Amino acid sequence: MSSSCGNPQAEEDTLMLRRTKFDRSKDCVRCKERAGNVVVRHAVYCKTCFVPLIAVKFRRALDPHINPLPDGPRRKGLKAAGSLLLGLSGGLGSSVLLDLVNRTYFDFSPDAGGGDDVKSGAGVKSEPRGGRDHPRNASVWPAGRVCYVETCAAFPGARDRTEHVRRVVAAYDRLEFVPLRVEDAFSSAWWARVGGAPASKDLGVDITNQDLILSAASTPHDASESESDTPASRLQRYIRALPTQTAIPSAVHTLTRVLLLYTAAATGASHLLLGTSLTSLSVSLIAGIAQGGGFAVREEAQGVWVPGVRVGAGGSGSANGNGHENGAVRVVRPLRDIGMKECAMWAWWHRLVVVGREKFPGAKQSIGPLTKEFIVGLERDYPSTVSTVARTCAKLAPKKGSATTTNNNNNNNNNICMLCERQPLSGLLTTSSSTPQRPAQDGVQDWKARISIRSFADAGSFATYRPPHFPERDLSITPSPAPTPAPSLTPFLCYACHTTLTSRSSRGTTVRAAPGPTGHPVPLPVWVGGNLAASPPDSGGDGGGADGRREEGEEGDVGETWVRRRMDPASMRVVVADFLLDD
Amino acid sequence: MTTISVKVEFSGGLELLFSNQRSHAVTIPSTDPTDSAPTNLQYLITYLRDNLLKERVELFVENETVRPGILVLVNDTDWELEGEGDYVLKDGDEIVFISTLHGG
Ligand SMILES: [Zn+2]
Ligand SMILES: [Zn+2]
Repeated sequence: MSSSCGNPQAEEDTLMLRRTKFDRSKDCVRCKERAGNVVVRHAVYCKTCFVPLIAVKFRRALDPHINPLPDGPRRKGLKAAGSLLLGLSGGLGSSVLLDLVNRTYFDFSPDAGGGDDVKSGAGVKSEPRGGRDHPRNASVWPAGRVCYVETCAAFPGARDRTEHVRRVVAAYDRLEFVPLRVEDAFSSAWWARVGGAPASKDLGVDITNQDLILSAASTPHDASESESDTPASRLQRYIRALPTQTAIPSAVHTLTRVLLLYTAAATGASHLLLGTSLTSLSVSLIAGIAQGGGFAVREEAQGVWVPGVRVGAGGSGSANGNGHENGAVRVVRPLRDIGMKECAMWAWWHRLVVVGREKFPGAKQSIGPLTKEFIVGLERDYPSTVSTVARTCAKLAPKKGSATTTNNNNNNNNNICMLCERQPLSGLLTTSSSTPQRPAQDGVQDWKARISIRSFADAGSFATYRPPHFPERDLSITPSPAPTPAPSLTPFLCYACHTTLTSRSSRGTTVRAAPGPTGHPVPLPVWVGGNLAASPPDSGGDGGGADGRREEGEEGDVGETWVRRRMDPASMRVVVADFLLDD
Repeated sequence: MTTISVKVEFSGGLELLFSNQRSHAVTIPSTDPTDSAPTNLQYLITYLRDNLLKERVELFVENETVRPGILVLVNDTDWELEGEGDYVLKDGDEIVFISTLHGG
């Protein structure tokens, strides 16, 4: 590790074998009088000083993002443009986040500071609400909601925890509980509830083909099957069709995330808060990179999402939007500087109920759990390295415009991935401090060909596809004849989603239900059809400049061209016209 | 044989491995029968594994200590400040094991 990482502690960690877990004294580094109770990355804190330490870290990560103009003066006070939505998984991080959010912004009782319910005799003062400048009597958000997405339908044998979570949230009387189910992603009723633009038919996709050919009506012809054609059964068909074990939790994670985003838009939320801790952020960053989602590393930490054009129009409480231009929702992870250990100590000392979340059975060898094991072990033995991982990823940025990603609400909806709604931001892994080495991207297939370790030759259906820049020496593969024009979802997906849907791995491959000769199309989440329907027909022209993204510099142009070419909604609209309503 | 009693508590989902019971009163010898050294936290972990753990040992111990992601508190203080496994147990100690692995 070079000294440029700027973290001497991490360097010591890497240079030294296991050392004592704390520096010098066992007394608290802050008050310097009480005996320490906890070691946080080599620093010792007493319980009394630990509580405000966490509260300050939380506010430091969230407060700058609250006001509509993030860089404007906050001395006048914090005032969000819209309401707040908190995504509660039942896990440790989001349970702690819920507690912190409530204490800091919603609990106006005089002694709600946070120390009062700490375990007996702790002597913790009412500190989490900060100093005198804290807006304890101001309403930062007009309303707060807590959304829980129940995922048990995705995992056979999993327990439904909705009622347990409901009881936990009920203890916070100023926060409203919004229960969802992951199968809502396949429910047109839910889509209508959030104000989504309806499509005339449901889209299905042939997941056995790398081009992900779209077709109509995923409704099974089999009578017994169609009887059970519910959102849950559609979800399960989607899950069963995924090629690997790793893909299942990734897919569920994406569905959950997008459900939260649309719920935020529909409830007029200007902010969606997620309980990702420093530890889990590092896990998801590393796992994401391992699965090819490198372009999303910054977004994983912090981001802005702009809902599709018509979404939210009919949703409850959204008549006036959320106060942000284009209804942009800020996704903030206020625990991103707080590790799992600190979360656990907070939960223990405040006696929080942590419901827990369902673990996907049989996924032990998939990328997510393996990464988690690695990071958690690293965090125990070398406590500073994990924050280095997260901070290094925070430096990773698309070559241009990284500074605008959290401030710029003028996102063009054409550039998002239609499945996960992320903006691929055109970035491969480049660090902002180094010279970017970004290859031209002529499409996801090309990018995949560049970074993939897989040989095209040994993958049945892949052999018929020949990426434009496939190495010349591999001429043994005969390029397929010009493909018949079929509507393909592939150009509208980010690399990570394409991989989730199509990439097999050498281990953990699920037994995929064999598609019939006609290949029963796999149902797609409702927003995919909605996104295609909502694509403005005039945005695919080649004039340039119209959407602002053409104004990138010369070097950046190659990547932007890719974005543009693969996202040609005008021609896509023709292709999928069959699925769209007339209006 | 002299014994000491300690209160053991499990949290963060670990209780599921221990009969779904959060709090346990545990009586153990005051010296390790194998080497006559005073009983320490390491001994307690092994004792819990061998006597109280009902299932899935690998979720509690790894390489003879608690697996990464499990915090240990000795009388409400991080065991890292108390010598970890070398901490010598006293009668009446409260030992807490907290799993952080429930995710975010
Ligand atoms: Zn102190
Ligand atoms: Zn995507």
